[in-house]
Amino acid sequence: MAEAQAQNIPSPVGESKPRIDARQKVTGSAVFADDIPHGNALLYARIKRSSRPHALIRRLDVNKARALPGVKAVVTGEDFPGYIGLYLQDRHIFCRDRVRYVGDPIAGVAATSEEIAEKALDLIEVEYEDLEPVFDPESGASDSSPLLHPELGQYAAANFIFPQAGTNISNHFRIRKGDADSAWDECAAVIERRYHVPHIQHVPIEPHVAAAQVDVTGEITLWCSSQSPFAQRNLIAQAMGIPQSRMRVIAPFVGGGFGGKAGVSMESLAVAIASKVKGRPVKLLATREEEFVTTFVRQGLVAYFKMGCDSDGHLLAMENRFYWDGGAYTEYGVNITRASGYSSSGPYEVPNVKADAYCVYTNHPVGGPMRGFGMPEMHAGLEQCIDELAQQIGMDAVEFRRINCLKTGSILVTGSQMHPTGLPQCIEKAAEAIEWGRKDPPSAPNKRRGKGLALMWKAPAMPPNAGSSAWVELSEDGMVNVGIGGQDLGQGVFTVAAQMAAGALGVPYESVRIATPVDTRYSPYEWQTVASRLTWSLGNAVVNAASDARRQILDIVAEAWEESPDDLDIVNGVVVSFRSEREIALKSLVIYGMPKPDDQGWRGGPIVGRGSFMPTYVTGLDPETGQGARAVVHYTTGAQAVEIEVDLETGRIDVLRGASAFDVGRAINPELVRAQMEGGFVQGMSSALFESLQLRDGVVRNPSFVDYRIATSADAPQELQTFIIEVPQEDGPWGARGIGEHSMVPTIAAIANAIYDAVGIRLDGPPFTAEKVYLAMLDAGIVQ
Amino acid sequence: MAIDTHPSLPEFEYIRPATLSEASEFLANHATEARPFLGGTDVFVRMRDGALAPRFLVDVKHLDGTGDLHFDPRSGLIIGAAVNMNRVIASPDVQAHYPLLAQACRTVASYQLRTRATIVGNLCNASPAGDTIGACLAFDAHLHIHGVSGPREEPLSSFFLGPGRTVLKPGDIVTAIQFPLPPAGCTGVYLKLGRNRLSDLSIVGVTALGGPDAACPSGYRFRLALASVAPVPFVPAAAEAYLAGNALSTETIHQAACLAAEACTPIDDVRGGARYRKQMVRNLSERALLTIWKTLAAQPAA
Amino acid sequence: MVVHSIEVTVNGEPRQIAIPPSMTLLRLLRESLALTGTKNGCAAGECGACTVLLNGEPVNSCMVLAVECDGAQIVTVEGLAQDSRLDPVQQAIIDAGGVQCGFCTPGILISSRALLDRNPEPSEEDIREALVGNLCRCTGYLRIIEAVRLAAQTY
Repeated sequence: MAEAQAQNIPSPVGESKPRIDARQKVTGSAVFADDIPHGNALLYARIKRSSRPHALIRRLDVNKARALPGVKAVVTGEDFPGYIGLYLQDRHIFCRDRVRYVGDPIAGVAATSEEIAEKALDLIEVEYEDLEPVFDPESGASDSSPLLHPELGQYAAANFIFPQAGTNISNHFRIRKGDADSAWDECAAVIERRYHVPHIQHVPIEPHVAAAQVDVTGEITLWCSSQSPFAQRNLIAQAMGIPQSRMRVIAPFVGGGFGGKAGVSMESLAVAIASKVKGRPVKLLATREEEFVTTFVRQGLVAYFKMGCDSDGHLLAMENRFYWDGGAYTEYGVNITRASGYSSSGPYEVPNVKADAYCVYTNHPVGGPMRGFGMPEMHAGLEQCIDELAQQIGMDAVEFRRINCLKTGSILVTGSQMHPTGLPQCIEKAAEAIEWGRKDPPSAPNKRRGKGLALMWKAPAMPPNAGSSAWVELSEDGMVNVGIGGQDLGQGVFTVAAQMAAGALGVPYESVRIATPVDTRYSPYEWQTVASRLTWSLGNAVVNAASDARRQILDIVAEAWEESPDDLDIVNGVVVSFRSEREIALKSLVIYGMPKPDDQGWRGGPIVGRGSFMPTYVTGLDPETGQGARAVVHYTTGAQAVEIEVDLETGRIDVLRGASAFDVGRAINPELVRAQMEGGFVQGMSSALFESLQLRDGVVRNPSFVDYRIATSADAPQELQTFIIEVPQEDGPWGARGIGEHSMVPTIAAIANAIYDAVGIRLDGPPFTAEKVYLAMLDAGIVQ
Repeated sequence: MAIDTHPSLPEFEYIRPATLSEASEFLANHATEARPFLGGTDVFVRMRDGALAPRFLVDVKHLDGTGDLHFDPRSGLIIGAAVNMNRVIASPDVQAHYPLLAQACRTVASYQLRTRATIVGNLCNASPAGDTIGACLAFDAHLHIHGVSGPREEPLSSFFLGPGRTVLKPGDIVTAIQFPLPPAGCTGVYLKLGRNRLSDLSIVGVTALGGPDAACPSGYRFRLALASVAPVPFVPAAAEAYLAGNALSTETIHQAACLAAEACTPIDDVRGGARYRKQMVRNLSERALLTIWKTLAAQPAA
Repeated sequence: MVVHSIEVTVNGEPRQIAIPPSMTLLRLLRESLALTGTKNGCAAGECGACTVLLNGEPVNSCMVLAVECDGAQIVTVEGLAQDSRLDPVQQAIIDAGGVQCGFCTPGILISSRALLDRNPEPSEEDIREALVGNLCRCTGYLRIIEAVRLAAQTY
């Protein structure tokens, strides 16, 4: 650690540079997917969706729709037999014989106007034969449950996913570490709890949009709001039965993603429809209502926790069971289940752990990745149990966490060792900032005040070999153009990539541009912009590419000056020699090279640096025990604390202030790191207080902003302190690791613990609406 | 709202009559196909949702008198149908004489929506959750209506028939709302409980207005109106009578608040449950009445 | 279907346009005038991404019919900067770090600009209240609130 801190950090790395895209975004010139013009040939697509949660399609008649003037194509599942899915291929683009949720796509229409496409939908006739639905993941996991996917055993799956054929369990991940069963007898205190976390939605302010065009040879171009242009190329090309190189994805600025625009959700629909009207672009724009139900939602969770400790407060055992409500298709969700399994202990060293995480098909909207990838849901209950356990043995909750939290070298739940971590420092910072232990009087007689704290950990959840690549080229004026395939969703990766390229090459930040929009034809490969992995993984690729360019430049100059490259450096866009004190500006050599003396020819040529990065050390885990040498690349850890007030007359919770501390390894741009901590806190707070998709019989009853409320400017806390802890990541660029998702992971639990501190009640899960809090207080006799 | 909500507004024809008579006549002649609109903040949403599909939308914003806001110290306040809520909030006359009305308007949605939203539109929608209806009821407002047989006036108290239903007949256009002078020395409060701190629809809305009144045994007269706890916002008469007939005390106020809660008939919906709503009517009525009492008690005796 | 002809002045430029009655001001701006800085986030007057100034006052352009705008003055995010000099609210939101994905930003800027026009010295509570109709999912609002405070100092 000391070594890493001593290493030279070149400017502008570590500086809070303004966003590279800010000017475009404040002037309205930043182009988002719906802003791209497609000319007069554009067709508008709409989707016919299932009105039933679970049914067989007995008859589907699209003839009347096809005959409507202005309709150019009507496609159904019959046209597209292929399967699609990221970790488990369990979806067709359009339903074929069976619908599995209210909103499942049955047919697609392309027409010359949106209005005509809408009319065509009404002319499509569907007859259903209803099947018994499954709405509860726990009973859905039982052997007696009706099956949603009788074909589960035949689906292609990644080798670390374990579908249970003949059940609704599309993945079962187990941890068997130590001997949890016999450890309970040694415990001085044991707590057992059940928590439920409802479905929520990502709510990017930009709804999903995809435009597709298929040319006469069958080559596909897709423009979309996307976190995953390369994954979309890969998955959609496979499903359409064409080679990946015959598909091109162009992904401009993304108006918020939070995981919802990862993988493939509605994009394949636009491509499938476009394939039947070759040559014409087809645009599919999700309404806000469709966004809430038919893209991805965050999975629901029913979680059982059992944990025990000795009288000194050492955690001895955990036994946790997670039933993930995966929805109709779990092609992406199966890996959330896996992540919850290999992180099932929370950020604690626990010698004996038994954990079972089940991904269960239900007739609910399709669960997918969302900021935190299962961790906010899992920590919501886990971190409340930690508080309760501490209370049972009469120990302060922060002290209990100090004792048990992961430290450098701790043995993880999967058996490997924890890398250097600043989690203990995070605890201290958050507790100190919130003035832990001090009880302040409420602001009014009808209020009660409380404080709560929670920890978190999260690893990038991805295939072991998810890779990144980058290139660096320069122009005649010495400006640097950096090609990346990662996407800026607002988190600031374009800015951070520019800073890292500038730092590694030796040019000012202002000299760097990022080659955008991301276009799979020109941009270098990136697995997906997910998992908080870009600063680390793409960052390494950018640094490698910039270093490669630097090496090429220095070799040319060294040869010209007859010096050693070791004596040369690039400073502010100028190559300098420490030995001879000669200088040459980059612009003088990066395109045309350098002349040899006496007009005897030239050396060098246009500079193009290339770099890639892929972790090579992640191993498989034993399917029976979940133990292995290295389950993940690393964990980002952190702590959050809040102070809240409960209104005794209404049950309303006001979050007065918060504190966030995360170990980001190295902050490449500290203000952007803080911005992630703030945005994540408020998103976490919003999910804790307001948000749930209100499902009844498979129908989402609140698919609009009218009744799905998110935090507004009036709800944000008055004060939010952020603390950057830097314990460098061994293989991160200057030690950096990710922070995008982590800041919303502990928030639900921190607020729940504060509610308990204020009024002594615990609810069975979020959202902690005024109504739920009030009625719980009423039932507990706290209010009359 | 449902997942099959239209992406855009369905087709319709836009009618902009030149006079009130022309407007009334057109609306009467196309009773089932035409709909008047002001800011459209409600009608456009319902058209996207498929709940409404008028062939004609009749813009009544520019007709005689609908854009006026005028206070007369003898007769009170008149607010034209097309006057948006931000204008009401910013009006010095409203702030001086009817601050309760400004307060209620301010709880509606957002500033940019209130550039379009109107009090008269809020009344005509007859939503159970209408935020401004309580203040209008508390001030005993009445409506100016233009129909096929010309202008007339009707009290607001008998205007609502049920959710989304009013006494308006085809051809009727509400042109203005008129408020009598406020009771001397009165003070009011609107307590709105939403899910968010601001901008939400109400789970419960409690309007209270009170002032000295020698004619009442208690020496005070209170008005109460409740939103989101019955088919339409309404006045809990028993609670008002109790307050008028009993000497003011915390116990009287508590009893009145319980009577208000008893009078409401809430439902369970996505915004809140009936049990909670009843409790909140009691608690917020009590809070509102105590706030007013405190203000009144602090005023110098008339 | 009847087509209406309207005259509107958008960001200072007079335009004459033929439009169907069902076209909203939002679609007029984005589709007919290719001013795509104004965003469509919900089409229901809830998210505020489509906020523009209509005769000086902010409106959700998804909730205004284009035909109602005959004779009106419209200002969109593209009209805030003058001669490539950013408006103080634009500069302040950059300086405060109040931009992330940027999709809500145009509406936030218009609402902020309108607030400062009617109230040059807003309190923090005024700022929060003026922005409740502009949903942002990225920033948590704190830096946006700070930006408006900063901009107020520059006016």
